[in-house]
Amino acid sequence: MTSRRGCNGFLSSVLLLVANLLIPAAILVFATGFFPYKPLLPGLATFDAVTEYGEPPEAKFDKIVFMVIDALRSDFVYAKGSGFQFTQSLIRNGAALPFTAHATSPTVTMPRLKAITTGSIPSFLDVVLNLDEGDESSSLASQDTWLAQMKAKNTGKLVMYGDDTWLKLFPDTFDRADGTSSFFVSDFTEVDNNVTRHIAGELKRDDWNTMVLHYLGLDHIGHKGGPRSPRMVVKQREMDGIIRQIYTAMESEDHLQSTLLVFCGDHGMNDAGNHGASSAGETSPALVFLSPKLRALSSGLPSPLPEREDFQYYSTVEQSDLAPTLAALLGFPVPKNNLGALIPEFLPFWPDPRDQVQLLMRNARQILDIVVAAFGREILESESDRDTLTESRAAYQDLAHGWKNVTGLLGQVSNGEAAPVLIPAVAKWLRNAQDVLSSMASNYDMSRLLLGQAIAVVAFLTAVKTLAMLADDKRLAFVPLSGVIAAYGIMMFASSYVEEEQHFWYWATTAWFAYTGIRGLKRGHQSPRAQVVSTALLLLVMRIVRSWNQTGQKFAGEPDIVKMYLHTNPALLWCLIAAAYIWVHMNLVFGLNSLPIWLSFAAATALVLAAFTFKVAFTLEDAPELVTGFARGMLEMNFSKHAPLITRAHTVFIGLGILAAVVLAFILLRRSVSWSQSGVATLFTLYTLLALTQSRPTNIPLFLLYSIQYRLLASPPTEHSRRRPMDDLSPVELSTLILLLQHAAFFAQGGSNSVASVDLSSAYNGVASFNVAVVGVLTFVGNWAGSIWWSWAGWLMMMERCSSPRAPRPYEATDAAPARETLGRMPREEEKEEEEEEARKRQASAWKRHVAVLTVFAAGGVAAVMAACTVLRTHLFIWTVFSPKYLYCAAWSLGQHLVVNVGVGGLVYWLRAREHAENGWITGCAGKGF
Amino acid sequence: MPSTPAKGAAATAALSKSNKPTPSPQPAQPPSLSPPPSDEKPQPPLRPVQTKPTQLARTARHALPALQAALFLARFRALVADPVAEMSMTLPVTAALQVTYALACLPVAGSSGGKGGDEAAAAGAGAGKKTATATATATAMPARLGSGKRKAAAAADGGMRKGATTAVLSLLLSALVTPFLYITMILFGAPFLTHGSHTLLCAAHMAVLALFPLFFVRGVDGRAWAALGGFAAPLDDTFGGLVGAVVGAWLGAVPIPLDWDRDWQRWPVTILAGLYAGYLLGRVVGGTVAWGKKF
Repeated sequence: MTSRRGCNGFLSSVLLLVANLLIPAAILVFATGFFPYKPLLPGLATFDAVTEYGEPPEAKFDKIVFMVIDALRSDFVYAKGSGFQFTQSLIRNGAALPFTAHATSPTVTMPRLKAITTGSIPSFLDVVLNLDEGDESSSLASQDTWLAQMKAKNTGKLVMYGDDTWLKLFPDTFDRADGTSSFFVSDFTEVDNNVTRHIAGELKRDDWNTMVLHYLGLDHIGHKGGPRSPRMVVKQREMDGIIRQIYTAMESEDHLQSTLLVFCGDHGMNDAGNHGASSAGETSPALVFLSPKLRALSSGLPSPLPEREDFQYYSTVEQSDLAPTLAALLGFPVPKNNLGALIPEFLPFWPDPRDQVQLLMRNARQILDIVVAAFGREILESESDRDTLTESRAAYQDLAHGWKNVTGLLGQVSNGEAAPVLIPAVAKWLRNAQDVLSSMASNYDMSRLLLGQAIAVVAFLTAVKTLAMLADDKRLAFVPLSGVIAAYGIMMFASSYVEEEQHFWYWATTAWFAYTGIRGLKRGHQSPRAQVVSTALLLLVMRIVRSWNQTGQKFAGEPDIVKMYLHTNPALLWCLIAAAYIWVHMNLVFGLNSLPIWLSFAAATALVLAAFTFKVAFTLEDAPELVTGFARGMLEMNFSKHAPLITRAHTVFIGLGILAAVVLAFILLRRSVSWSQSGVATLFTLYTLLALTQSRPTNIPLFLLYSIQYRLLASPPTEHSRRRPMDDLSPVELSTLILLLQHAAFFAQGGSNSVASVDLSSAYNGVASFNVAVVGVLTFVGNWAGSIWWSWAGWLMMMERCSSPRAPRPYEATDAAPARETLGRMPREEEKEEEEEEARKRQASAWKRHVAVLTVFAAGGVAAVMAACTVLRTHLFIWTVFSPKYLYCAAWSLGQHLVVNVGVGGLVYWLRAREHAENGWITGCAGKGF
Repeated sequence: MPSTPAKGAAATAALSKSNKPTPSPQPAQPPSLSPPPSDEKPQPPLRPVQTKPTQLARTARHALPALQAALFLARFRALVADPVAEMSMTLPVTAALQVTYALACLPVAGSSGGKGGDEAAAAGAGAGKKTATATATATAMPARLGSGKRKAAAAADGGMRKGATTAVLSLLLSALVTPFLYITMILFGAPFLTHGSHTLLCAAHMAVLALFPLFFVRGVDGRAWAALGGFAAPLDDTFGGLVGAVVGAWLGAVPIPLDWDRDWQRWPVTILAGLYAGYLLGRVVGGTVAWGKKF
């Protein structure tokens, strides 16, 4: 067996490397085919291009104040209990025209701003670019937008205050601007004051024709406290006050006589206060047009309205409709790539029906240009046979027929008679065109999709081959792994299982514990009682973990432990958090115990105290309602009371860095940093502290639970039980268990496959100025904290098993041959060297096998997700369910698999091997401490 | 039916493990609901349970699962409409069917039926008359092979009474373990704060289906239960039913997350359906093609 492995050692290493290199290649190739840049019509639209309808109708306004209130869901403005009292009074008297503007998924800021300004429907790729703030390729500088049109009018300057996303989208467009970074999510006031302080001055000046304001505070409050946070109404009143300020100026200042004020949300939020996906709350922002002139259109609408479950208040329009509507009101041509339709409520502004027809026709004509660009001019000319057309061609053909109808009717409008017929006909055609064009499958590059798919399959097969070469487990040991991969692969084709993926991992992990428990009973290495107790405890902890955070899509708002017991009982929460930090402290002292006791104790205490006070201070900013009693007292007592959060975070990170460097130095200098455990175990403790720092306070107790599970699986033998549950697992089974626990932990922390569930609250710990890499790493650690924790636990379990000198392969022990009692037996001197060498080999092959198992799953998962995305590319949920899953899959395979499991894991293995070379295998790698 | 402690102990030991190649009929004893003595010798593996070889048993064995499945399907609509009412209503029915099944087909705990494995394995599924005689005589107190018809009739009568007692005790035991099954279901993800009666009734159904026959044939023999708990017992009707029920109930959770929004996706309809389907399938497969096999 050993010789076979020796021969194949090199080949298997190469294959493993190849498989792991193919995974990112597959992801990249597939992504370029799946998220293509959409073709855009270049250049700015002009009125001169279309002359057949005569002179364009007069503009009703010459200035616009465009105010975006991030995440302003429709009910925040329109429903009872809203803080928008002044706006509601204007709705009642007709000076404000309210709408619900449907925002398409992804409901995050950058793609929404693109939709609002260009009128088009941005590609899904923009979600990624939305997070990647450094990217400039998403710039709209070269595209036709209403901002570009306003600039082209040359009647004034463009000014912008607020979210700096605008500055990135429109470089060199604004004449005066002050951008605020949108990622300090815990900042509720500064971001908004930064905008408001410019308004009074700008309202006095008359050199601008466009003022863009973008307020972020309301979105931040949503992320932190949800839509029902007590701060929400206060913020709404503040926003309402700003609207009053601008509206009053519009009434009183001469140069603002013809100003249109538009305020809207770029997207809404769900009941948890997050956004990104496509629930009704997320896709229903408010849109309000205000001007004293609007009284001409409407004598007022009832306001406030009773709350509605579907968030559809007043008329619902598309967010892209803003562009052609502003074009009509402000008198510029409709931007070229617009898919929006002029909002019909505004037509009565132009009493002459010919003007109304012309506005609609110009809008329709512009959309027709897109149809022609996408489909060729022949579609309008040929009367080709319907039956030969594919379904999507049929939809286009309908559009072409509709267009012929409309142009036919247009011939009669010159005498004014056909207008009442024509206007609804064009409006209908516009809606139809909008539907067809926006539901049009994007231009997938099929060859790339298939190539990416093929690479993933090759990676999978390579990984399987490698595993077959490396593993000498019994056949049965592969069954759970194969089952998990097969079930996961099938699940990827069902949207509900993608949305509710957590159930699969909980279900499988629970079954796993039951299965190994039952098997333990059968093997009888432990007393049945000990076996039953340890299995029951593992199951109990798993049950608590799975109900910690309710996640997924359908029941995301249902009660869970966090909502029911921790939010309502902050004292309990802080007891648990304190317990977690004390536990880390004890482990840290233990893990540094070859230093002088005063030094290890002082270092551990200082670091843990810094981390704990950071957590308290952060929570005080982040979720003040959770900080009560002793936690607040703790902060008061703390001498660093006035330290800013950033300094606190820096202290923690630097402290972690110093201690990690010390441990690494010890390992590299071949000294022991702890007499009782390996240096790698001490690094694990340091990681745990990092994980606590990057986790939401309510998730911190989860690590105590994980730790209980880990102890149950891996705590050293006692007189009561000779064997640990992990000894009963074969290598492949241990890796499978780690795989299950990694995934379960991700979802237990509240993760899901929805973009909305990305937790950004800890992404900016200690970050003073935006840095993609740092924020990316912090976000990843924040969201995958539990999964990475289980990676560490897996490495330690694996190394621990290999480190017992001359231990029999316990998993090979059968009922007939109970394990020999060799654990802890010290080998004789002459045997030692040989055994060390043997152990090193075991260690190396164990690590490769572990990576091979994880690679098989990662590659298989990637292949399955790609297959699902390819097959279901025309599915209704492709952009709302499957594409986000693809992004998550990429994060899992690139971040969790390649960087953590393979990269960091390899480093840890190397350190451990080095440590071993000098010190011999210290048993108790997993820590006997606590 | 008095028996000396020594006899009882020997019988109990023989009940679950007899390592003799061919079992000799044992003196009858009361239903063995007492734990085995602690001073045991190294013990042979558990034997699969052989159903009674009577014509009635053969018919009931196949008719009852079909009847149970038919009843479940017929009442499915009602189950979906009001799971709690329906489950409480069908629980006695299921229990009655299980008692009938046990009395008609299964050897009582402590009789020699539980150890007829070797012969059966040797003679195949239709081990037939020889075992029949053995079973019948085993239950008559001092009887030996080749007793007369009258004695056999008396034995059958006594066996019936003993069977009834065992059935009642087994039902009681099933009721006693129901809370543990309930807790197990919670651990497997059943709702904890809501749907309490749903889950409890589901657990009761599981106890009556999967555990009652095992109590009936195995009593509370700790070693047998350790083997069953470790899935180390050989497959037969009863153990096959247990495995099928556990796996079926577990798989029953699969359709719940689907977004079809059907009423039958509500807790615990799919679990109960999986439980019944798994149990019946496991019982039939365990009693036929997989009989005597081990995991």
